Amino acid sequence: MNPSSSTTADGVLPAHDAHDAHGADHAHPSYLVDGTTIKSWLLTVDHKRIALMYLVWILLFFLVGGIFAMAIRLEMLTPGPTIMDAMTYNRTFTLHGMIMIFLFMIPAIPAVFGNFVLPLMLGAKDVAFPRLNLASLYIYLAGAFLALWGMLNGGLDTGWTFYTPYSTHTTTTVAPVLFGAFIIGFSSIATGLNFIVTIHTMRAPGITWFKLPLFVWALYATSCIQVLATPVIGLLMVIVTGEQLFHFGLFDPARGGDPVLFQHLFWFYSHPAVYIMVLPSFGVMSEVVATYSRKNLFGYRAIAYSSLGIAFVGFFVWGHHMFVSGQSTFDAGVFGVITMLVGVFTAIKVFNWVGTVYKGAVDFKTPFAYFCGFLFFTVFGGMTGIAVATTSLDVHWHDTYFVVAHFHFIMVGATVMAFLASIHYWFPKMFGRVYHEGWGLVAAVFIVLGFNATFIPQFLLGNYGMPRRYFEYPERYQALNVASTAGASLLAFGFVIISVYLTYALVYGRPSGKNPWRSKGYEWISDSPPPTHNFVGPQPTFSEEPHLYVDPKKAEVPNAV
Amino acid sequence: MQSSAHTAGATPGVPRLAAHFASLEVQNHAARLGMWLFLSTEILLFAGLFVCYGVYRYAYPEAFAEASRHLDLSLGTVNTVVLITSSLTAALAVHYAKEGKNSLVAIMFGLTIAMAGAFLVIKGFEYSHKFEEGALPGPYYTMEAVQLPGVPLYFTIYFLATGLHAFHVIIGMSVLVWLMFKAMREKNFGPNNYTAVELGSMYWHLVDLVWIFLFPLLYLI
Amino acid sequence: MSVANESSQEAHNMQEHHSSVRYWVVWGVLLALTGLTVWTGSIHIPQFGLALALLIASAKGGLVLLFFMHLVDHKGANRLVMAVSVLFVLMMLIMPMADLATRYRPANPAGSHLSDLPDLEFIEGKKSTHNRAGGGAHGSGQAAPGGQQAPSPSHP
Repeated sequence: MNPSSSTTADGVLPAHDAHDAHGADHAHPSYLVDGTTIKSWLLTVDHKRIALMYLVWILLFFLVGGIFAMAIRLEMLTPGPTIMDAMTYNRTFTLHGMIMIFLFMIPAIPAVFGNFVLPLMLGAKDVAFPRLNLASLYIYLAGAFLALWGMLNGGLDTGWTFYTPYSTHTTTTVAPVLFGAFIIGFSSIATGLNFIVTIHTMRAPGITWFKLPLFVWALYATSCIQVLATPVIGLLMVIVTGEQLFHFGLFDPARGGDPVLFQHLFWFYSHPAVYIMVLPSFGVMSEVVATYSRKNLFGYRAIAYSSLGIAFVGFFVWGHHMFVSGQSTFDAGVFGVITMLVGVFTAIKVFNWVGTVYKGAVDFKTPFAYFCGFLFFTVFGGMTGIAVATTSLDVHWHDTYFVVAHFHFIMVGATVMAFLASIHYWFPKMFGRVYHEGWGLVAAVFIVLGFNATFIPQFLLGNYGMPRRYFEYPERYQALNVASTAGASLLAFGFVIISVYLTYALVYGRPSGKNPWRSKGYEWISDSPPPTHNFVGPQPTFSEEPHLYVDPKKAEVPNAV
Repeated sequence: MQSSAHTAGATPGVPRLAAHFASLEVQNHAARLGMWLFLSTEILLFAGLFVCYGVYRYAYPEAFAEASRHLDLSLGTVNTVVLITSSLTAALAVHYAKEGKNSLVAIMFGLTIAMAGAFLVIKGFEYSHKFEEGALPGPYYTMEAVQLPGVPLYFTIYFLATGLHAFHVIIGMSVLVWLMFKAMREKNFGPNNYTAVELGSMYWHLVDLVWIFLFPLLYLI
Repeated sequence: MSVANESSQEAHNMQEHHSSVRYWVVWGVLLALTGLTVWTGSIHIPQFGLALALLIASAKGGLVLLFFMHLVDHKGANRLVMAVSVLFVLMMLIMPMADLATRYRPANPAGSHLSDLPDLEFIEGKKSTHNRAGGGAHGSGQAAPGGQQAPSPSHP
C-alpha cells in the first residue's frame, strides 16, 4: 500500500518519497499534527483547520436544530397539545428554522468543505485571505451564540421569516436573535468574498476557468450570491430591530408603511439564500458522480454555466414567495415566469449527472448511495418547486404542508444528502482514514427511507389542506402526521448510526492512503491528510482536466465519452 | 481589509509578500478585487434604504416634496462640496503614494479627515435643527409646518439613510487616520507599495458615492 | 510559482501613472454638476425633475467610480463586480415599485397617492392626531386621549 503510487490525475510528485511504512510523512507532517497546542488551533490560519473547527460547530448546531425538529414532530403526533403549549410551539418552529437556516445550512458545505477543498482543487497553499477566514469563523460563532442565547431566553415566535408588523410588535426576544443573525451575515459575506478572490487569483498554472473542478464553479456561484444578497437582509434585520425598539413604522400600515415592502426586501435575500444552500450541494454531486462512475463528466460546460445561471436568475424570482401576500398580479406574473427558468438550469444538471452515470463503471460506495437519494429528492423537490411557482396552484398550497415538504425535499433531501456525501467522500482526505463501508450503506438506507417517510406524508397533508405553523389540527390529519413523525424517527436513527461509525473511524479507522477512491479530482493529488501547506515540493501542474478517466482522443470505442 | 504590510527596517517601498501568494502581483490583485467585492456589499446595503425611499416617495409624492423643502439646502450643498473635495484629496493621496511622496500622502489624508469632520459637524447642526423643529421619524414627529400623510416616513428614511451614511463616514475616517499615521511613521509607500492607500481611498470614495445619490434624492425633490 | 493570467493582466493595467491633473479636472466637473443639480432641483421641474436629478447623480457617480476609484484602469473582474451590483439594485428598485403601481388599490398604504382610502393619522383640515396613544401596541412619547384633537387656530 504505497501511498505515493500514482493512479491520480497528472501531478508532479516529489522526487524523494519521505513517507514511512504507515504513510506518514515526517518531513512534512499532516495539518492535523503540525502544532498540537490549543492556541495553534484557535489562532490557526490554515484553511483546513478552520474547516474542521467549522465542522464541529456546524454539526453541533445541526443537532440542536434537529432536536427542535423532533420536538415539532412529537407535538404533531396528536391533534391537540401533546408536549407543549401554543406559544412554545411557535417558538420551537421558529428556532428550528432559524438554527437550521442561518446556523447550519448557509455555512455548511461552503464553510466546511469549501474551505477544506477549494485551495487543494486550485493547487494553492491557502485561500486568498487566511486571517479573514479565521475571523469569519469567530464572527459566525459570536452571532450564533447571541442568536441562541436570545432563542433560549425568551425565544422568538415569529417564524424564521419574521414578517412585519407582527415581528415589530411581538414581545418575544426579537433583538438578540436578529442581531445574532445579522452578525452571522458578515461571516457569510467574508467567506464568499474570500472564495471569489481565491478562485480569480490563486489558480495554479494550467488551471484555466474551464478546467476548474465543478465544485469550484458551484462555490463561485454561491459566493457571488453570498456577497450580493446578504447585505440586504443584514440591513433589514437592523431596521426591524430598530422598529421593535422605536416603532418608527417603516412597515406599519397604521403609520402609512407597507408590510409587503418588508417582504420584498426579505425575500430579495432569502430566495437567493436557498441557492446558497443548494448550489454547493450540486457541486459536490458533480464531483461524487464522476468519481464513482469512473467516467468523465457529461456536459462539463453546461453544468458550469448552469451554476452561474441559477445564481443569476435566482435574484429575479423572489416574489414567488408573495403570491398571496397582496402583491400585484403583474409582479406575480413576472416572478412566476422567471422562476420557471431556474428549473431549466437545474434540469440541465440532472440530465448531465444521469448522462455521466450512464455506461459508467459504477462503484457503489456510500457517497454514491447518497447521490442516488439526492437525485430522486432533487427531481421531486424541484418539480414541486415548479408546481408551487405556478400562481394559480400556489393559492391553494401556500402556507400549507405542501410547501414545507417541498423545501425540505430540497434542503434536507438535496443539501443534507450532499453534506453527508461530502463527509463520506472527503473523510479520507480530511482524516487519512476510512470508515466502515457496510455501516455507511446501512445508514444511507435509513436516511433515505426515513426522509421519504417523513416528508411524503407532508405533501399529502398540504394537499389535503393542513396549514403550516399550526399548533392544532383536525382529527382527519392525524394519521399522516403520525406517519411523518415515525419517518422522522427513522431519519434521526440514521444520523445516530452515522455519528457512531464516523467517530469510530476517526479513532480506529484504517489508514486510507492518498486516494482510496482512485479519483481523478484535483484535490486527490495532495496527500491525505494534506500537510499544512497542501503540497510538498514544487507546485503540481495540472495538465489534464479534472476527472479525466477516459481521454477522448485515446478511447478505444469512438464516442465512449 | 488585507494589508500589504511593511515591516520596519525592510527596504523602503517594498511591501511584505504573504507566504500563500504566488507573487506581489497576485497579492495586489487579490487585495483590490477583495475591496471591490466589499464595496459591492456596501452598495447593496444602502440599496435597501433606497428601495424604501423609492416606494414611499412614489406613494407620497407631496409629503416627500414638502418635507424636502424643509431641509437646509445650503448646508446640504456645502456638505456635498466638502465630500467631493475630500474625495479629490483622497485620490491625490493615492497619486502621491504611487510617487513615494509620503509626507504629501499624510497631508492629503489629513485634509480628507478634516473635511470628513466638517461634514459630520454640519450634519450635526442639521440634526439638532430637526430635533428642535420636531421633524423626527414616525411617532415622534411633531413638526407643525408640514402635516401631510407620509411625512413621518420621509423623516424615518432621512434619519436611517443619513445615519447609516454618517456611520460609514466615521469608519472611513478611522481607516484614513490609520493610513495617515502609517504614512507619517513608516514613510514606506511607493510605486511598489501603495495598495493599502488605494484600498482605504476606495472606501472613502464609496462614502462619497452614496452621498452623491442621497443628496438630490433627499434635498432636491 | 507562476501566476494566473488575470493577475499579470491586472499588474499590466496598473502600470500606468498619470499626472494628477485628471483628478483636478474631474473635481471641477463634479462641482459643476453639483451646481447644475442644485439649480435644476430648486426650480422643481414637474415631470422630469427626478429623472434629471438621477441622470446628473449617475454622471457624478460614474466619474467618481471611473477616475477617482480607477475603474477606468482596473479592467476585468473588478468592473464586472460593479456592473452586476448596479443591475441587482435596479431590479430591487423596479419590482416593488411596479408592485405598488399595479396592486389592488385598497392594498396600498392608506392616505397615499396609490390608495383611495384616507390616512389613519393625518386627517385633512385638522391638526395631526399623530400623537394619540389609542390603538396598536406602539406607544409614543406624547400620549393624548384617543379621538380628541388639540385645538388649532385654523380649525374650522
